[in-house]
Amino acid sequence: MRLELDAVSKRYGSATALDSVSLSVDDGEFFTLVGPSGCGKTTTLRCIAGFESPTEGTVRFDGESMAGVAPESRGVGVVFQNYALFPHLSVGENVAYGLRFTDPPGGGTRDERVAELLDLVDLAGFEDRDPDSLSGGQQQRVALARALAPGPDLLLLDEPMSALDARLRDRLRRQVKRIQSELGVTTVYVTHDQSEALAVSDRVAVLNRGRVEQVGRPRELYHRPRTRFVAEFLGENNVLDGVVESRPETGGIRVGVGDAVFTLAEGRRVLGQGGSASGDRAETDGRDGGRPARPETGDSLTFCVRPEQLRVGAETNRVRGTVVDTEFQGATTRVRLDWGGTELVVAVEDGGEESAAGFEDGTTLDIGFAPASAHIVD
Amino acid sequence: MSRVSVRRVARVLEQRLLTLVAALTAVVLLVLFYYPVATVFADAVLVDGRLTVEPIATILTSEFYLVDIIWFTAKQAFYSTLASLALGLPAAWLFSRFEFRGRETLRSLTILPFVMPSIMVAIGFVATFGRNGTLNRALSAVGLPPVELLFTLEAIIVAHAFYNAPLVARVVTAAWESVDARTVETARSLGANPRRAFRDVVLPQLLPSIGVGATLTFIFTFASFPIVLALGGFQLATIEVFVYSRVRDLAYAEAASLAVIETVISITLTAVYLRYEASQRSAGGAANPLPRRSVVPSDWTPKSTLRTVGIAGYALVVGLVFVVPIASMILASVTGGDGGFTLANYAFLVERQATGASFQVKPLPAILNSLAFAAGTLVVAVPMGVVMAVLTTRRYRGRGLIDVLSMAPFAVSGIVVGLGLLRGLVFGVDVLGTRIRVTGALAIVAAHAVGAYPFVTRNVAPLFARLDGRLVESARSLGATRTRALVDIELPLVWTGVVAGAAFAVAISIGEFDSTIILAEGAGSYTMPIAVERFLGRRLGPATAMGCLLLLVTSASFLVVDRFGGRWGEL
Repeated sequence: MRLELDAVSKRYGSATALDSVSLSVDDGEFFTLVGPSGCGKTTTLRCIAGFESPTEGTVRFDGESMAGVAPESRGVGVVFQNYALFPHLSVGENVAYGLRFTDPPGGGTRDERVAELLDLVDLAGFEDRDPDSLSGGQQQRVALARALAPGPDLLLLDEPMSALDARLRDRLRRQVKRIQSELGVTTVYVTHDQSEALAVSDRVAVLNRGRVEQVGRPRELYHRPRTRFVAEFLGENNVLDGVVESRPETGGIRVGVGDAVFTLAEGRRVLGQGGSASGDRAETDGRDGGRPARPETGDSLTFCVRPEQLRVGAETNRVRGTVVDTEFQGATTRVRLDWGGTELVVAVEDGGEESAAGFEDGTTLDIGFAPASAHIVD
Repeated sequence: MSRVSVRRVARVLEQRLLTLVAALTAVVLLVLFYYPVATVFADAVLVDGRLTVEPIATILTSEFYLVDIIWFTAKQAFYSTLASLALGLPAAWLFSRFEFRGRETLRSLTILPFVMPSIMVAIGFVATFGRNGTLNRALSAVGLPPVELLFTLEAIIVAHAFYNAPLVARVVTAAWESVDARTVETARSLGANPRRAFRDVVLPQLLPSIGVGATLTFIFTFASFPIVLALGGFQLATIEVFVYSRVRDLAYAEAASLAVIETVISITLTAVYLRYEASQRSAGGAANPLPRRSVVPSDWTPKSTLRTVGIAGYALVVGLVFVVPIASMILASVTGGDGGFTLANYAFLVERQATGASFQVKPLPAILNSLAFAAGTLVVAVPMGVVMAVLTTRRYRGRGLIDVLSMAPFAVSGIVVGLGLLRGLVFGVDVLGTRIRVTGALAIVAAHAVGAYPFVTRNVAPLFARLDGRLVESARSLGATRTRALVDIELPLVWTGVVAGAAFAVAISIGEFDSTIILAEGAGSYTMPIAVERFLGRRLGPATAMGCLLLLVTSASFLVVDRFGGRWGEL
């Protein structure tokens, strides 16, 4: 099923929860809404499910407006963070609940459908168990089976993993993804966890303060964030504000930040250079038009460089910082540098047990980055 | 109509059912509560169809009314509140800080006064403190002169404490148990001695609950009727009693004016209380409650001995106030004039049933009426109460107004509702030229339902509030309509509260006195409490026998409450 949100706004009194959100989700797509708490992602989900009605705008399922359609008539499966299993019903009865209102898809009996779904979530034979007797991960899988039992056209997952511990979360996430692609059900997934969003989604929408910041494939968002917010929200980033000094004949842009001047490759993302299969849809809020495609001398400009793109001892764009803090993270070590009052984060690949000796607090370090690895944002 | 469109109509109906029942509840409240109460207000300010403040002004300028009635009402309520605190607070201390056998049972027994018909309690006090009561028999047995306690302020105050001390104990115990032991430990580690830690850390957390208990006690005792009527007579009359006596004299305008003054005071107090309660609501049991110790100390220091003696003395007082009156009533019902065992009082009831004149009060109709009214109350009050619980646990515009309007019956005395129903619906109203009248029996059910449904709401609403809204949303996304989700998911989960609320409703209906006595005058449909009061006026023996029957019926409904875990902890 194809899901569309057309300029959906939701206001509670004077507070605006959603501000003209437009999205479209393709049939069978795994689409994620990500953002900090209060960004409107759950409100969006609740408007899709029909628990809230938009103040303005339209939600469409396969082109059909859902205005005035009750939640029970939408054919949407919902899984909540706290599972919301019916405590007075057994696991089997929970999964069978939706089948009270519709015949089991596939033509079998209810019992067969329940067994099939429990098998799908690796809980075969749990029919008669009491939901309270299950672990959190098991309860969440029951909730998933229950939502899928009536064969919904759309599956909505509202922070389904956030009550679970990290290890279990990873495993369950892969399981959800596998089941989703097996069934091919259109899925909208809500999470505040950016790494989760990047890991499982076909496409991701980043929400901030009730607005869509950017929509795109995970790699696209990570490497070509459009706004400062997206750059900082997805993964770690060094975001620097500067002024365009000159645009040399040889190409590129020279940007002054404090005392230093950096050379950046010509805008990594300029209008018309979307480059992704879904590039046409990525332009969701029409804000692109206001951004200068070719920054002129004297324009202020913001760009970002990922910590893993900052290299110790690199030749180009070299600056000298003082180590203030190091964090060993396994494969890499995060080194925080003070560069004239600006904090820079460098991800240094780990080179064995003794390698961090050079990063003691207070030592100075020369770092730099390739012009092409910087990325200009709004 | 085709099958498809029948199904569609049914579905629309199902989707709107909740709204429909809510609207119905509003209509019921409007007709059975707000209209009658408005009638009373109109009676007070309209003389011969002319708007006037004269009746109210007369009362407010009369020294008799101001001093003998209104001031006395406030005074006895104040003393009753003090007595209830004095009797209730030690119980809260014992329940929350000590471990002893039967603690849980005793704690759940504090619910009892709520389901005890007040007239029965009054009988118990007459049987205990009356001229030939248990106390005087005990005194004469040891050669002491008899004391006269009936028709004194003290008797009224003790009886009020019987009702309200358990309430104070419940509320304060809940607060005490929610005090986190870590806060006391922190204070101790910072240098406070135990006394200081109690004063600085525990007491401030208890004060709101003590305030809630005291305010509620004052509100209840300010509007107390049967206790004062039976133990004070017309010599010691509260506003309620005086309204009743005015109604009996058919002085309706005066009765209405007094009732209006009382209602205004009660509503003001209740409004203050509700604001206070809303701002003081605590969050249930603590993760680390204060430890309990044994009542019997492990080593007998002077301090622990003193404490144990104090507890023993308190237990004695509790026995005297709570157990002796009920025991005395039962004892008196099987005691003859010579002091020996007799069943004459029950035989009197049987004989009265067989040969009594039509104008005399017979036991059987009283029992049957009580049960019929209770059944009627159940049918009306339970759906009303459940719908109100649903409405008061949701968030929407104007919810505050709904809360206040739906809890108003709490603040308006039964006398006022009864008077309003009598003057309005029983005497009849003209609607578009047709005189509409309601029989006394219907009016009694109405009054009972209005008095009982807040108890259903208060039993059910906390359970609704604790329900996760996502449960209903899950059910709806799976295809259930709102009504279907209520039936499939919510009701099974709040069922214990519904049953407990229903039992409360039955018990309240059976014990209801205030409005019933007013309506029964006009309708002749007396109930068991009314029968007790009628007998009480003439002879104590049959009254105690009738009281025992009432106790039996009320206990049965209490057992249901206890069986399904009554939840009056909120109040």
